[in-house]
Amino acid sequence: MFIRKLLNVRSQCHLNLRRWASTDPLSFKNEKLQSYLESLRQEYYSLRVNAAGNNNSRLARLDGVVNALEKHRALQRNITSDEDMAAEKDEDMRALMQEENNVYTDLLQKQEDAMLKELLTLSDDKLYPALIFEVNAGAGGQEAMLFAHELYNMYISYFDYMGWQYEEFAHETTDIGGLRHANLLVYGTEAYQWLCYEAGVHRVQRVPATEKSGRIHTSTASIAVIPRPADAHVHIAERDLKIETKRASGAGGQHVNTTDSAVRIVHLPTGLAVEAQSERSQLKNRELAIKRLHAKLMQQQLESAEASTQATRKAQQGNQNRNEKIRTYNFVQDRVTDHRVQHGGTHHNLSGFLDGGQQLSGLIERLQLEHRQSKLVALLETWSADKN
Amino acid sequence: MFKYLKRPLLMAARSTVRSLSGSAATTSITSSGGGSLIEVNKALNGWEHKLKDAGVRDTEFNLKCIVSHVLQRKFNTVPDDFAQLKFNAEQLADFERFCEARCARMPLQHIIGEWDFMDITLKTAPTVFIPRPETEEFVRLVIENYKNVKHVDMLEVGCGSGAMSLSMLHALPQVDATAIERSKAATALAWENAKLLGLHQRFKVHNHTMEEDKYMPEELKDKQYDLIISNPPYVKTDEFQYLHPEVVVYENLNALDGGSDGLRVARLVFELACRHLRPGGKLWLELGNEHPPLVKTIMHLQYQGRLTFVDSYFDQYKRERFVQLEKV
Repeated sequence: MFIRKLLNVRSQCHLNLRRWASTDPLSFKNEKLQSYLESLRQEYYSLRVNAAGNNNSRLARLDGVVNALEKHRALQRNITSDEDMAAEKDEDMRALMQEENNVYTDLLQKQEDAMLKELLTLSDDKLYPALIFEVNAGAGGQEAMLFAHELYNMYISYFDYMGWQYEEFAHETTDIGGLRHANLLVYGTEAYQWLCYEAGVHRVQRVPATEKSGRIHTSTASIAVIPRPADAHVHIAERDLKIETKRASGAGGQHVNTTDSAVRIVHLPTGLAVEAQSERSQLKNRELAIKRLHAKLMQQQLESAEASTQATRKAQQGNQNRNEKIRTYNFVQDRVTDHRVQHGGTHHNLSGFLDGGQQLSGLIERLQLEHRQSKLVALLETWSADKN
Repeated sequence: MFKYLKRPLLMAARSTVRSLSGSAATTSITSSGGGSLIEVNKALNGWEHKLKDAGVRDTEFNLKCIVSHVLQRKFNTVPDDFAQLKFNAEQLADFERFCEARCARMPLQHIIGEWDFMDITLKTAPTVFIPRPETEEFVRLVIENYKNVKHVDMLEVGCGSGAMSLSMLHALPQVDATAIERSKAATALAWENAKLLGLHQRFKVHNHTMEEDKYMPEELKDKQYDLIISNPPYVKTDEFQYLHPEVVVYENLNALDGGSDGLRVARLVFELACRHLRPGGKLWLELGNEHPPLVKTIMHLQYQGRLTFVDSYFDQYKRERFVQLEKV
């Protein structure tokens, strides 16, 4: 499973978990957690028995946790109980038993950590094979657009750093090198798990290149991350499209030399209309327009799907925080502060951060861990409430 | 007959070419300041009307193309409202010359010296046929049909600027293309475009005029291909009076004239295909509005046992214009 691979890479995770496992709700000795694990195990085996193919994704996700749980139980059986120990008369034998137990306890601890990691990934939202990533310049005019462009570059490098494929379907720049907005499709099964924490308002504080009197400005740009679930399929049938160009009726082909590049497409079943005229080639504009239509239909479908499952929706709004700033990039003090991190949300070396490599990744990783933990705790609470 | 029609337009064209190469046009704007900059939006003043009066359609797009060319910027990076864009005096002079040329109905693609076709950008040259938007749709169809074929030996008859062959090569790495072209200028341009696009290793172009019993140049006379594509001249001779001035004056009419029924050159291509397609190989043609049913009849009557009509297709304007034939 990829998530496991992903988690293994994270070094800091391990330490955090250890510290964390000792606090109450997620301690392994916690009864709620124990019974929750047992219920997962039962779900897993009942799914396996009647694996009709429908629930295979759930099965695959449970696989890691249940596997870890089984290993844990096997290890537990190896530990000699206190009674047996007391019953043993031979001193040497008892010492040997004690030694063995120490080794197993150690292994057990490791296994618990591994299991908790698996459990944490399980608390993630659904998996999405792709997502729509949007960068929009916010308040602050030209300066905001310049900042949007820097953010855009940062994320492009980050996609490369993470090895995700992406495809751009809208990009509008300004003449001084700013960016009005850009829409990208990012492919990668784990991409959403990382990028969803980037959605929100990003704030910049600096003396803009456009500023003549040296004052510090505050501007914003926003990021939106819209998931594209595996079961969201938008099929656009050729016959459902009304493709309009500017050309009047009359002879075509070699008879005329019209450039005729702008394209407007109406999707007849939904009445959605899209336009594209940013390219000189008509075919390119048509491809662009169809992509836009695709994205719009997808968004529509996602919105209705999300509305139906209130829990998902609430959870997403909870972490997207569209209306508040999530991070500040302060050039004057050469720092980045993430406002969602309680302690130590500030990092220095801003330019390194904007490279979109390890520094950004580390911050997202941290947000991800905190989010997963709180989600698991919340889940455990509601879960036991259901049971009782 | 169309010579008479052409003459006044040719005169206009010559004077345009002269003004294109001549000194900068002086206007009240240019004379107002030496090295100062002028906002593009101010420079645009009045040109939209002038272009419209000259019969140019889609004026906004024309102006945007010219502006981005003058500023040497990629078309898709120039904002529609030209906000904050400025010309210097030299650029302004260029801009006005180009607009003047466009008013004289010089094709936009010739004025800016390049054009986008599907995913590639091609250089254009006077007299060489400029590919049309419909041809993009045609090539898209052909690519769709060949994207999963392992290897394709392709021949294009009459490649012009190279648009069709080069975009095939660009889209499909498994294609090797050979082209024949009767115009020397076009042959040179196609080769230049191939080199500019870095596709020249899989592309060959021969300057050759197709004739009865000498369909292919000597060095290719025994060659066989899997696929032949062509956008042959298909304008009927009596339709020449309806052509746009951009076409009549600036394009090589050899690239358009299809004889009395528009299929004179297409018939030569049929013959060529009989001799140079492998059995099962396909011939794809882009033709005029009424041609596909006609081609179907011709295949039934004259090519029994040699070529068969596979299907016809519509362009993006819902006109039945493309045909696929198969070598028996």
